[in-house]
Amino acid sequence: MKIFTNIKLAATIAFTHMRARLKQTVIATAGVAFGITVFIFMVSFIQGSNDFVQAVAFEQSPHLRLYNEIQTASSSIMDRADPGAVNVVSHVKPKDILLSLKDGPQIVQALQQDPRVAAISGAVSTQVFYRLGSSTINGSINGIRFEQENALFNLQAKLVDGSFKELSTLPNSIVLGVGLARRLNVKTGDRMEVTTEKGNNFSVKVVGIFKTGLTDIDKQQSYASLNTVQRFLEVPVSYITDIKIKLHDMELAPAMSRELQAKYGFHGSDWKQDNAALLEGDALRKMIVYGVAVTILLVAGFGIFNILTMMIYEKMKDIAILKAMGFSDSDIRWIFLVQALFIGLTGALLGLVFGFLAAYGISKMPYKSDVMITLDHLPVSFSAMYYVTGFTFGILTTTLAGYLPSRKAAQVDPITILRG
Amino acid sequence: MNLIEVRNINKYFDQPTRMQVLADLSFDIEKGHFVSITGKSGSGKSTLLYLLSTMDTAFEGSIRINGEEMQGKRNRWLADFRNHHIGFVFQFHYLLPEFSVLRNVMLPALKLGRYTPDEIEYRAIDLLQLLGVGDQAPKRASLLSGGQQQRVAIARALINDPLIIMGDEPTGNLDSQNAAIVFDLFRKLSSERGQTILTVTHDDDFARRSDKVIHLVDGRIAG
Ligand SMILES: Nc1ncnc2c1ncn2[C@@H]1O[C@H](COP(=O)(O)OP(=O)(O)O)[C@@H](O)[C@H]1O
Ligand SMILES: [Mg+2]
Repeated sequence: MKIFTNIKLAATIAFTHMRARLKQTVIATAGVAFGITVFIFMVSFIQGSNDFVQAVAFEQSPHLRLYNEIQTASSSIMDRADPGAVNVVSHVKPKDILLSLKDGPQIVQALQQDPRVAAISGAVSTQVFYRLGSSTINGSINGIRFEQENALFNLQAKLVDGSFKELSTLPNSIVLGVGLARRLNVKTGDRMEVTTEKGNNFSVKVVGIFKTGLTDIDKQQSYASLNTVQRFLEVPVSYITDIKIKLHDMELAPAMSRELQAKYGFHGSDWKQDNAALLEGDALRKMIVYGVAVTILLVAGFGIFNILTMMIYEKMKDIAILKAMGFSDSDIRWIFLVQALFIGLTGALLGLVFGFLAAYGISKMPYKSDVMITLDHLPVSFSAMYYVTGFTFGILTTTLAGYLPSRKAAQVDPITILRG
Repeated sequence: MNLIEVRNINKYFDQPTRMQVLADLSFDIEKGHFVSITGKSGSGKSTLLYLLSTMDTAFEGSIRINGEEMQGKRNRWLADFRNHHIGFVFQFHYLLPEFSVLRNVMLPALKLGRYTPDEIEYRAIDLLQLLGVGDQAPKRASLLSGGQQQRVAIARALINDPLIIMGDEPTGNLDSQNAAIVFDLFRKLSSERGQTILTVTHDDDFARRSDKVIHLVDGRIAG
């Protein structure tokens, strides 16, 4: 109880000191507030943009993918026929393995029962030439079951014209990427031709246009029904080349990818591998935000350190008198620590408020995105975590900045001063 | 009854070179006495007083005040002891300039916490009136004249009813009229309230009328 009243008394002395130095106190507080404001604002805005860019990219990338790859045979047929001998076969051609996933549809059905799996889609993807009149464009076509694929990639939201519905009802119908449609100069309802790698020609009808925001996809990709693409390729209905999976917890993807690769013998990839560069950029940007915030707070902390050190030099006499009348070293330390804490606390709280207002303000700024059709304002992320971090940061720096001078004050020798 | 018992005190300063300032001092001070410490400048008067004030803890020997040994005590304990038992009046009338006169007087009592703030304020005003500066109570301390400030400082020294009031040349900075007022006040405190007064003084008149004089010559008690 005694310690509480001691600190309370120290605080009233501290407040008298601060009131006598109102201007310096306000400037020091403003410094801390500014640091926290910038931190909150920057981290909200940069994280918002990161989240947004990631959302765009991740929407096109499943958490987990299974596929086959053309690869060089690891051993030549000679080795297998005559295992003991030294066989030299130069320039081995790639093994002609099918890109098809063996038992694909059954595996899709099996994985659908897996509790970790949120959505799954089996698809055929292949290279084709899109042709209209004299123009020929190389691209890829995805044979999908719309419901499955939509559950993974929210295709419906990317549609800018026409519909996906007709894919399953109308044979040889196709939905084109917006860039592809522009290059071919076609629109919904037009007819065009698709040529497969084997040289077969099919006439198709454009029933819709989509836009993902990722140019690489929009300018060369199209969707058709699974059956349609299987027919183009002259393969049976069990033929699929890709299994794409969305998980309830995306962090499980790398482990699960390894598990499924081992189990089924396919190639696998997860969202972390597919978006490594993006994730790296995310981490770097976050480091910059924290770097800037720490710098500003250090400057603000130095301001507090300065004002307190100056105050202590001015207040040597007061400190000596207080000690003579029975204030202990730790009472004196509290007087100055309270000032630092008060400045830190006020500054940090103001910083949180202004930071929030700035972030909120910018989130209301109209912003026309070429990438995401649903976006009409600047992307800003609001998370309690930033505010907790900013506050902790501010209090820590100011406490540290106040601790050193207040220790010095506690060590003032009253006699040398009172002696005159 | 002895309030203060000093035994074989030695005090050295290490800077600029090691020298002995107080040499083997022993004496007693009785409760309620009015005691003066005299001696030439540099003879060690202030040094002795600060040892007795418990603010200077670097010494050899023993100081007992009110039955308690001061040697080897921790800072917090000593601060508390000062707060309870010692009132200090300095040569320069040191008040806290940013606080009101009233607040200056109240501070040691707020620290002690024996009474509620309202009671403390009442007692402080009482003391200020006793010392003839009651009307100055709400003013900022820095606005008062030297004589007034010293009276406020005395009120501050008295607020916790200390056993001992110490002063390092408390009248040294005052004109003779104010000095006389302060002197009479100290006399009155020791005879009426039984408070022990211990002051360093240059004033022969002051010293002559004391119950006891400790006269220092080069850090030793003379005569
Ligand atoms: N902090 C100190 N460091 C070194 N020497 C000191 C210190 N304080 C006082 N002295 C020396 O101690 C001696 C006694 O000083 P002091 O007690 O102030 O004398 P008085 O009060 O009788 O004039 C003087 O010679 C003075 O110079
Ligand atoms: Mg002196």
